Amino acid sequence: MSSVLRAIWDNTYGLLVDDGQLAIGAIVALAIMWLIAATTPSEGHDNAGWLLLGLVVALVLANLYRAGRNARRHAG
Amino acid sequence: MDLTTLAIAATPSFIASAVEFVEATTIVLAVGVTRGWRAPLAGAALAVATLGAIVASLGVALVTLVPRHLLLGLVGALLLLFGLRWLRKAVLRFAGIVALHDEDEIYRREVAELRAQGLTRTEWDWVGMVVSYKAVLLEGVEVAFIVIAFGAKGVAAMNAAIVGALAAGVLVIALAAVLRHPLTAVPENWMKFGVGALLSSFGVFWSAEGAGTEWPGDAASIPLILGAFLIASWLAVRMLALIVPRGARLEARNV
Repeated sequence: MSSVLRAIWDNTYGLLVDDGQLAIGAIVALAIMWLIAATTPSEGHDNAGWLLLGLVVALVLANLYRAGRNARRHAG
Repeated sequence: MDLTTLAIAATPSFIASAVEFVEATTIVLAVGVTRGWRAPLAGAALAVATLGAIVASLGVALVTLVPRHLLLGLVGALLLLFGLRWLRKAVLRFAGIVALHDEDEIYRREVAELRAQGLTRTEWDWVGMVVSYKAVLLEGVEVAFIVIAFGAKGVAAMNAAIVGALAAGVLVIALAAVLRHPLTAVPENWMKFGVGALLSSFGVFWSAEGAGTEWPGDAASIPLILGAFLIASWLAVRMLALIVPRGARLEARNV
């Protein structure tokens, strides 16, 4: 039973986190978006969504660039 | 149920759930073919009951009790994490850095492992039941998460997401029952790529809505967000093709 519970926990954690840096980066991007949405008036407020999109896309590209560099290093 | 609700909740729920159902079906098929059908079917049924309880309790409680903005923010953040994980892995697969998902290979490996464990015909097959229960439950947790995430916008969306997931389940199980073979023809890697981009797009959309911002044209912004993710993914695959030497296949954990 404990192995099933452990597997469920691992799977649930694995659902959300495959690469720690990507997950932390996404949480930071969300925090920046929330901060801007909460502190800026009307127009800037509504641009917070696009800012989040930009941050996340940049994050994905940077993360995959790092993954590619690491893969190249491993391949020798 | 109107067409917009269907398009927003049921369609992505159907596609994402189909991928998970294919993976679970491969394991149940492997158990059934090697050890008989009673135990794996009982294990699968038990897992479905467990999942039903999870969705009924957690999903309904979330939709009815948690304030809408908070719910959208929470579900948006979870969807974004979930979607980015799928998208990253899909891009790495298409770039050749991580091996492509191969249902046939998984099926053969599972059959070999199950045969090696042997079976006493007179006893109830606990091994087969547990393997099947675990596979259906673990893949099903992802289906439950998908249903709750796409259904987070309200009761109609939740119903649409459930309909989408159920339709995927019925279709995949019916096909597997007819073919008695893993569904290798399902373009799983492409579907995972699409689902990763879709989940990430909904994650961005709902996270921002949860923070109180308004998108121009509301849901009409989703295709634009999706387009941005697809272009970024295409660029990433091209970038990785330039960085990584051809044939360098490494485990995802190492990168």
